[in-house]
Amino acid sequence: MTRKPSVCQKIEPALLATAIGDADTTTAARVETHTRACAPCREDLARYRAIDSAVGAWRGAPAPAEELVGARLTSRLADLRRRTLVYRIFPSPLGPILIARSEEGVSCIEYLTGGSDFAHSRLSRVEGVEALLDGAEVEALYRELLEYVEGQRTRLEWPLDLRLARSEFHRAVLQATARIPYGAVRSYAGIADVLGKPAATRAVAQALRWNPLPIVVPCHRVIGTSGALTGYAGNRINLKQRLLAVEGVQARRAEHDFRVVREAMYARDHDDPAYCLPTCGSIGQRSLAGLTLFASRERAEAAGLTPCSDCRPDLHPIAR
Amino acid sequence: MDAERFDTLVATHHREIYRYLVRTTFRTSEADDLAQETFLRAYRAHRTLPPDANARAWLFAIATNVAKNHFRAESRRRRAHAAVRETRNETDGAGPEGETLFNEALALLDTVVAGLPLKQRLAFTLRKVHDLDYDAIARSLECSPDSARAHVFQALRKIRRSLNGSEFSLGRDER
Repeated sequence: MTRKPSVCQKIEPALLATAIGDADTTTAARVETHTRACAPCREDLARYRAIDSAVGAWRGAPAPAEELVGARLTSRLADLRRRTLVYRIFPSPLGPILIARSEEGVSCIEYLTGGSDFAHSRLSRVEGVEALLDGAEVEALYRELLEYVEGQRTRLEWPLDLRLARSEFHRAVLQATARIPYGAVRSYAGIADVLGKPAATRAVAQALRWNPLPIVVPCHRVIGTSGALTGYAGNRINLKQRLLAVEGVQARRAEHDFRVVREAMYARDHDDPAYCLPTCGSIGQRSLAGLTLFASRERAEAAGLTPCSDCRPDLHPIAR
Repeated sequence: MDAERFDTLVATHHREIYRYLVRTTFRTSEADDLAQETFLRAYRAHRTLPPDANARAWLFAIATNVAKNHFRAESRRRRAHAAVRETRNETDGAGPEGETLFNEALALLDTVVAGLPLKQRLAFTLRKVHDLDYDAIARSLECSPDSARAHVFQALRKIRRSLNGSEFSLGRDER
């Protein structure tokens, strides 16, 4: 092949650009002028244009099995989306805390005790979960959670995703626990009772040992029938006491543990629509299994209860 | 980007991403896998995509990366080349004379493009089939817009050289 004249070599990129429609008008005009005079370049331009227009046939030509591919993609994406949690770890006043959510709702809150990175979390060991580090959505949750544990907010109206529950029973325990109102406590036996399994007290306590959503599912409001603040986040009874104190529930140090001060709390008997003084009728002698205790009249009334018409806690509130 | 916008993105672009990958791999089963991989990756990353970003160019960049990884195994590249030859043999001999010639020329073009170095092939496909601008192609190939253009031009030169002397220039000009 003979070498092209240098003027042709120089104009070659412009010629290519013109052939495939990339060139501006000045470039195209320059190529036009040159190819009018230069037959080999004119021929080149025609060849490139032919290639360009042939390639045009590729556009818009449907590819085989497109529909099928779309369906497969949809199902795999749906599966991934179901399994995906976005999370972030925050240095909270309660220690490093991990918050994770799915498209359905908040699915995991975890106190990190072994170290403040994801590898130390229980979530990292849950099978089938695809956890992605992310910020924005989870950050707003953290701000609300902070306000909540600092007592500036009494509700977390978050959609919850309880799929990390390990069984139907576990899920039922979490749901029953989630219904305990702010500023109130119930016993493990009481939760078992609500679930229609009065003998399952130990199973309830076991189930709450792994609460994927502490604070939001307020397992800190579940206590022993003795009134003792048993087991929380491993053995962080102080944390349980602190969370309860924010809600106005006082606990006193007993011999081996902390106990709620029963005589300083209003009581509700089972599903009674009223709340009573701790001295009303036989309430003082009753087991905590059937009672919900409230830190104050405000808390009881915020939960929709009315003052008992016998003991009239509204007229004779507990003396502080 | 939120989940709803991501749904729209999938609905709008999955076909062209799949076509891009069919054109890149020449095998529909592989293109299927790679398209799924592309959108799964996109889902994992979509929350970090700024609202004003060019989502289409972003998807093509992911697909290009997925394709590049796929072709890292040299044997696969050879398979793709072989696959396009097979298709070519299958489509031979159909239609009236002029069309056959044209189809033959197109099939030859497929073969030539399949034989291009990967970056040139990707750049050429992105530019000529999917109309991406050189900035977007540069992002896909992790190079400068100038090298992106150079890849496209180099692809063209090679195609022309490979087709020289063939019947290709007799092909119907659709302009």
